[in-house]
Order: sequence, then structure tokens, then C-alpha cells
Amino acid sequence: MTALSIAYGSRRWRFRLTGTLSTGGQIGLIFLMTLLLLAAAAPLVCPHSPQKTSGPALAPPGAEHWMGTDDLGVDVWAQVCFGARVSLVVGMGTALLAGLGGALAGILAGYRGGWVDGVLMRLIDILLVLPDLPVMIVLAAFFGPSVWTIIGVLSAFAWVFTARIVRARVLSLKQRRFIQAAETYGAGTFYLIRRHFLPEIFPLVTVSMIRLAGRAIVAEAGLSFLGLGDPTSRSWGFILHHALSFPGIYYTAFWKWWLLFPWLALTLVVLALALIGKDLEKVADPRMRSH
Amino acid sequence: MTHPRSKRLLEYLFTVAVIVTLNFALPRVMPGGPFLYLSADQDQEVAQFSAAQQDYYRRQYGLDRPLVQQYAAYITALVRGDLGYSIYYNQGVTAVLVDRLPWTLLLVTAAVVLSTLAGCLLGSISTAFRGRALDRWLYPALIAVSEIPAFLLGLLLLFTLAAGWQLFPLSGAMTHFAVYASPWDRLADIARHAALPVLTLAIVRTGGLYLLARNSTATVLTRDYLRTARAKGLHPLRILTRHTLRNAMLPIVTRVFLSLGGLVGGAILVENVFAYPGLGHLMREAVLVHDYPMIQGIFLLVTLSVLTANYLADRVYGRLDPRIRETPAEAR
Repeated sequence: MTALSIAYGSRRWRFRLTGTLSTGGQIGLIFLMTLLLLAAAAPLVCPHSPQKTSGPALAPPGAEHWMGTDDLGVDVWAQVCFGARVSLVVGMGTALLAGLGGALAGILAGYRGGWVDGVLMRLIDILLVLPDLPVMIVLAAFFGPSVWTIIGVLSAFAWVFTARIVRARVLSLKQRRFIQAAETYGAGTFYLIRRHFLPEIFPLVTVSMIRLAGRAIVAEAGLSFLGLGDPTSRSWGFILHHALSFPGIYYTAFWKWWLLFPWLALTLVVLALALIGKDLEKVADPRMRSH
Repeated sequence: MTHPRSKRLLEYLFTVAVIVTLNFALPRVMPGGPFLYLSADQDQEVAQFSAAQQDYYRRQYGLDRPLVQQYAAYITALVRGDLGYSIYYNQGVTAVLVDRLPWTLLLVTAAVVLSTLAGCLLGSISTAFRGRALDRWLYPALIAVSEIPAFLLGLLLLFTLAAGWQLFPLSGAMTHFAVYASPWDRLADIARHAALPVLTLAIVRTGGLYLLARNSTATVLTRDYLRTARAKGLHPLRILTRHTLRNAMLPIVTRVFLSLGGLVGGAILVENVFAYPGLGHLMREAVLVHDYPMIQGIFLLVTLSVLTANYLADRVYGRLDPRIRETPAEAR
């Protein structure tokens, strides 16, 4: 892990993962990296198709099917590997969209102040109290679920967390001597944002994005688990949904592989993200524990 | 609008207006129309209304009138508690909701009470044993548990405790067709069925409250007024109730109310894990059978309850802590 560091193009500020991650965070990072590789190389590492029957139905894990097969004889290992793609896309997509959007909104609200700040803060107050899952269910019901709708709705709710943190930091930065000095020298808004605010805010946004990714993956899994996710993407939540719709699932041993492996995958991803997030949180801002 | 409280109320009312309008607009902007198909279920032939029939129904439901009139009619009906007629359940939406709401309320209230008690207790224990073995084990264990999403934990409990060891029933809120010897048997049956969903929701929430209680009691313990209280020779129990807990409670109370939105989301999923006949289960059923008035009714009920809870949280917080009563919302 020594080679890995995230650095923003600024001399003053450098955000290193090296040495900042605890054992737990390192395990989490290794797990996520492995998963990312597995998802990217899914066709290479899976001997069977995630959609077609490739063996006897409901076979227990063995040499041929590492994680067994489901009721249609589809390889569970392949489903888990390909399902990782959906979870990772939803997680990363939401984190990027909501993280960047939230950062921009936070900078704008904090730096410009005035009516922009007023409107954005009211909007944030509203979105903070609205429960997001019912809204997602309703939108999925009315507009048909797709991975992109899910990312869109999740981002529409999630940006407020980043925006709030960023706004608070910008407000305190605005009072700092070096910003005021830059302003006296005639620095424009965009120059200030690029040279001074972004580098200072970057660690906060990174931590926030890791949190958002976790939330998004869980939300997508929950929606798919209800059978309301994107029907064309076989995500982990969808495997759980499919397994639970199998009539005899409670009375047989099939759940020990059919349900257990996607369950484990989801739980481990969430825990890995939480471990990394907790470590980075301490580095970025010890006081930041808002979500 | 100088008074912060009325400003806050206005904000909430605005949010309510946004939700109601959203609810009105959604079915009108969705692709397709309500009268396109007579039936389009799986395994069945698609039957379609004729153009004349479509016109008739459009007039019947008032969908040919101008939007403003439709909106006004919608609001009037809403105020009277009329949420429309459920296509699938063949009943008024309000009646179905009233039927299912108690089950969800039971789950949510029990989970809130249990998790708050457990969180405060464990948090205080952790503070008392700060830095010692108990605290060092409790802290990471509870943090890890709190990160696991409710429905995944529910699945784990379902397949180990209910399906594996058969300690609890698999699904439902009461045993079907059961004849109870006494009301107590009935209550026991309900409790047995509610146990796992409540446990799931409570365990998931305990971690966050534990962390809050631990931090909050630890902060209060370092305050000067506590040292003064001890120096005055007050009874430790009085110090605990009047000085420590009263002050440590503030963030906990806010957290309990503010997390209701998340709890509702968790409850929707957990109810479906255990096939518990509350609003969450109903919502999924309604979505799967495309019962739009039903979906909208549940959505409205759920969001408005969460909003009300949050508004109450604001008010209660002001009661508990006189210091913030006069400060505007922005300063918090």
C-alpha cells in the first residue's frame, strides 16, 4: 500500500493514504481493490455465464461451481462477480455526482453567501428530513427503475451531506488571513476556488464520497431486494430477491450458498467502506461525524 | 418572519406543499396513461380500452378538466382525508392505511424505545469504563454492527434464529387462523412475531446512539458544573439524573427524532424481509401490482409523519435546552 497516495495538484497540501490507514482500513482497501479487479475482469475469472444455465439446479459449492448454482442452474460465483459491477457503478457514480455537486454547492453557498446561501440551505433542510427510500420507491414505481434513475435519485438526496460539511469549512476559511490576502491582491472567485478552496476541501469531500458510496450501494441493494431495482442488471440485491422468492428457501439448505454469498459480498463491501471512511475521517477532520 | 419558530414552521409547511404537489404531479407526468390497458398482467392477453371508453373514464375521473381545477379538487379531497380508491385492494386507500399503520407503528416505536435505552445504557457503561477492556471491546463491536444495513441483518436473523433454530416464526404478524384462549395468548403471539423485526431495527440503531451517548456523557463529565455539583456533596444519583443525564440527553433526543426518516426506510425493508404486514410491505405490494393511489397514499403518510416528527424534535429540543430557544435556526 506504500505506493498509493491521492494527491491533489497543490504544493501546500497533500493527502496521503500511506501511513494513515489502520490495519482495519488497509484490509478494507485491499478487499475493495480485489473486488474492483474481480468486477472489471469478471468475464475472465468466471468460467460460467451469469445468465445462462451451466449445471444442475441448486448444486452446492464444489470444484465446478465455487459458490454453487441457483434454481435455474446458473453459477452463483459468476452472478456475484457480475453483480459487483452494478454495486460499484452505483456506488462510484453516486459518490462522484453527489460529491462533486455537493462540493460545488457548498463552496457557492459558503463563499457567495446572500440569497444563494439562503436558497441552498433551505433546500438542504428539506432534503435532510425527507426519507429517501420511499421517494426512490415511488420514482421507481412511476418511471420504471434503471441504474441511472437510481444513481440520479440517490445523488439528488446525497449531495446535501457533502454540501453542508463543505459550506461550514468554506465559511471558516473565508475568515483566514491567506484568503483575505489573496482577495486584496485582486483574486477572482474562480481563482480562489481553484487555488485555495478546492485543495483545502478535497480531503473532506473524499471522506464524504466514501460515505456516500456506501450509502448508495446499500440503497441500490435494498431497492433491488424489494424487486424494484433495474430488472436488466443482476445486482447482489437482485440475487437476494430472486433467492427469497424461491418457495422452499426457508426449509432447505440452499440459502447456505445461494443467499449467503451475495449477503457476504454486500456486508463486506459496506464494512470495508466504513473502515476506510473512519480512518480518513480522523485525518481529514476529527470533528466530522455528521453522517 | 422575525420569530425563528414561526419561520421554522413556515419552512415545514413549504416542504409539505412541495411533497403534496409532487404527489399530485407524479402520475400526470409519468409515461403512459391509466386507461391504456384493461389488463396487462403477466401470462394474460393484453386487453385495451377503446378510444370512447378511454374518453369516458377520463371524464369520470375528472382528468379532462384544467390542471388547476384538478389540483384544487385533489387538495380538497386530501384535507377531508380522502386519499382515493385503491384499485387492487378494492377499498378506500385511507381504510387500508388505517388497517396497516398500527403494525408499522408497533415496530418503529418498539425499536426506537429499545435502541435508545440500549444505546444510552451501553454508552454510559462505556464512559464509566473508558479506556479499559470493556470499552475497548464494546466500541468497535457496536460500530461494526451499526454499519450493517438493517435488511441484511434481518436476513441473517431470519435464517439463523427463525429458519435454522426455529425459535421465532418466519413471517407475518400473527399466526393464521389461530384461536386464542385469552387476550394474553394473543398478545404473546403478536410479540413473538414482532420480536425479530423489532430486534433487527433496534440493533442497527443502537450503534449510532451508543456512540452519541458515549461522547455526550464523556463531554458532560468534564464540565465544571459537574465538579461543582460533586464538590457541593450532592448525592451521586442526583448528579447523574439532574446534571449528567439531563445535559447528555440533548443530542440524543435530537438524534432519535432526526433519524426517524432513516428508520422508516429501514422499516420498509425489514418488514419485507419478515413479510410483516405494515406499511412497508403494503408499499411493495402496491408497487408490484401498480396500485398508484395506494403508493401515493403511503408515500404521503410516511413523508408527512417524518416531517411532523422532525418539527416536534425542533420544538422538544427548545423545551429541553432553553439556551437555543432564542437563537435562529442558522446558528445551530
